[in-house]
Amino acid sequence: MLLFLTRRLASGVVLIFAAATLTFLLMSLSGGNPARNILGEGATEAQVAAKAAELGLDRPVWERYGDWLAGALHGDFGRSWFTGEPVMTTIATRLPVSLSLVSVAILVTAVLAIVLGMAAAVRRGWIDRFVQIFAVIGFALPNFWVALVLVTVFAVTLRLLPATGYTPIATDPGKWAVGLVLPVIALAIGTIASTAQQVRGATIDILERDFVRTLRARGVRPSSLLFRHVLRNAAGPALTVLSLQFIGLLSGAIVIEKVFALPGLGSMAVTATTQGDLPQILAIVVVMVLLVVVVNLIIDILAGWLNPKARVA
Amino acid sequence: MKLKSTAGATAVLAAVALVAAGCAAGTPAPEPTSATGGTLTLGATFDATSWDPADAEFGNRIQYMQPVYDSLLHITPDLEIEPWLASGYEYNDDFTELTLTLRDDVVFTDGEAFDASVAKANLEHFQSGTGQNSITLGAVESIETTGDYELVLDLSAPDPALLRNLALVSGMQASPAALEGGELKTTPVGSGPYVLDSAATVNGSQYTYTRNPEYWNAAAFPFDEIVIKPLTDLTARLNALKAGEIDAALADAKSMGEAQASGLDVQTMQGDWQGVFIVDRDGTKVPALADPRVRQAINYAIDADGILAAIRLGEGQRTTQIFHPSSQAFSAGLDSAYSYDPEKAKALLAEAGYPDGFTVTMPDIAAFADIQAVAYQQLGDVGITVQAQPVAADQVISTLLSGEFPMFLFSWGSSNAWQDILKVVQPNAPWNMYHNATPELDALIATAQAEGTDEAFQAVNEYLVEQAWFAPWYVQNNVYVSSPEVAVTMQPQNVVPYIWNFAPAK
Repeated sequence: MLLFLTRRLASGVVLIFAAATLTFLLMSLSGGNPARNILGEGATEAQVAAKAAELGLDRPVWERYGDWLAGALHGDFGRSWFTGEPVMTTIATRLPVSLSLVSVAILVTAVLAIVLGMAAAVRRGWIDRFVQIFAVIGFALPNFWVALVLVTVFAVTLRLLPATGYTPIATDPGKWAVGLVLPVIALAIGTIASTAQQVRGATIDILERDFVRTLRARGVRPSSLLFRHVLRNAAGPALTVLSLQFIGLLSGAIVIEKVFALPGLGSMAVTATTQGDLPQILAIVVVMVLLVVVVNLIIDILAGWLNPKARVA
Repeated sequence: MKLKSTAGATAVLAAVALVAAGCAAGTPAPEPTSATGGTLTLGATFDATSWDPADAEFGNRIQYMQPVYDSLLHITPDLEIEPWLASGYEYNDDFTELTLTLRDDVVFTDGEAFDASVAKANLEHFQSGTGQNSITLGAVESIETTGDYELVLDLSAPDPALLRNLALVSGMQASPAALEGGELKTTPVGSGPYVLDSAATVNGSQYTYTRNPEYWNAAAFPFDEIVIKPLTDLTARLNALKAGEIDAALADAKSMGEAQASGLDVQTMQGDWQGVFIVDRDGTKVPALADPRVRQAINYAIDADGILAAIRLGEGQRTTQIFHPSSQAFSAGLDSAYSYDPEKAKALLAEAGYPDGFTVTMPDIAAFADIQAVAYQQLGDVGITVQAQPVAADQVISTLLSGEFPMFLFSWGSSNAWQDILKVVQPNAPWNMYHNATPELDALIATAQAEGTDEAFQAVNEYLVEQAWFAPWYVQNNVYVSSPEVAVTMQPQNVVPYIWNFAPAK
């Protein structure tokens, strides 16, 4: 287990390094001029040159990369070219927003998908048909469209929930939750649909296994059979799907953050990229890759804990 | 296994709590902000960037700065210049010396006092900074303090836009301690009517300003609190307006109907002009463009009224001038100089020696996709074949400024007439990429600069229209939507109203 963890962590570090290096090179060699982007259309060449010098853009790419890497290894990701704010301060205010959105969405997905998927698999009949139809519709609806409909109905017409904005959980947990209701529904509806299908399929598969029949014959209570044996066995594939969903949700959050004006990493990524704010882009890439590595690791450990067969040496 | 079911139960509880919290808020979740007149909540199209006045921008982002920073002078919605931190201002006879007399009762929010040496330090900070408007103080050669509350700006040449700029970004005053401190980019310290409340501010989400209790002119600012929320997405701005979460924001022509149907106030103000920059006026790349008749043909070739009606939904006004209708250079009579007349265009091309037309490379810019196709086709109809060359979105400005294209479509936010001459007309202007100049135009510009009169500026304008340096089509309207509880006065020459243009509705 320790060896496995070490190996995964090492490959994670390599991955982060590779992604950051590639981003740096692609952004630096793409030919855009961040100094011009900052100063706008009215600035003279002399102004642009002065700005570029201030940002250090007049130095060779490899030199700038070396400086960035040396700083990053010490946890210093520099300052935004546009706001002058330390990049890590920005990340620290934005990461909780995206994490709130995505982790609540994944939690809601897990709970609802397991309930719906297992109910459909065990009961079959009308509830199964309902879940099947919901899954197709939920999967087909684009989440920005769902978001717009939800805002129009619940925020604009009924005025039950806010249309935009985010309150940090430390400021007011109630407002935090209220603000997340619509974004989470919009973001999670597709993942609930597809994960419920996955759980349903896996549960049906397990229910038809010999050991289930044997357990039933031994008189194990149905609830115990379902939750202790079937769910545990069906959870493996569902977990894998969830980990993929989590990563998918991170990118889906970009659109949702825009529609609901949530100040998360997604909207920061869009702004930073269109402006060419390299220090911010690099920090976002590092954080995103780190998240993916960590989530995958957690899922691997969870899967091994749930199912000894999936454990690695 | 116990652990698992507990975790599951917690998850269910959390989900239930989330939904319950949502339902529990039976009353409108966002507090109605405008009813009391206490708080003004604005939606902004762009997020704030640097708080250093040296980086201050005109346009959208000026709303973030105006609550915290007072300027030396003041500009009204009628573009009148009024005393402000400078209680008096006076030019010498040839407009090369500006004397400013300052108020003696102004204190910065960190307790520092305001005087002539502070004003000088701020002007020099702005001038030597690397902000996009540092050039607006380019004509200031030296600054001399002639008393505790008096200073003289020595100009290398008259600058007809100087007073206006000193009333806006170039005259913004930061605390001298903050100028030295080095934290101004992230922490604003000014003497303005409000203070940025860092406890109630979340960068990227909400900027909250509370009243500056020491402010010398509180009566000019009716709201006790101003909140600015960056909402970069137009749909999000409209939703927030309709849900009552913000009081005012910028929209567009397509959303006017929807906003009106929701009971919101909709106002318009002429903004950018759109049309063709014909920049290769000496024929360096395309010899045909050196002939004024060819450039006039381009003006006749395009159905500007049609594009305005069909694509801009009529929200704008036909024009042939690059100067803003509110500027001193504007002359209504010039707007009838060119009408849509393809036959006349062909005749002019033939007269200039191009009966079969010519070929020109123009950029293919995604932002102008809606107007580009029809314009290029109409140019083709009179014999000017356009080869469209794609330009990446983040490289549009730098590519255009490099002079790669002899002519191109653009949307220009014209403002003060002299400012526009500096940016697009003068031989060394960044948007005069081929550095075109003629002795007549040089003379006209020199007169306008020295005299600063409307007639002199209109003469420059007339020359540009006659010689067809550009082919403007129309000035399009900026659309500003606000709650009926807030009275908004539109501001010419700025995309959004200034902070002092808002008041509670009576």
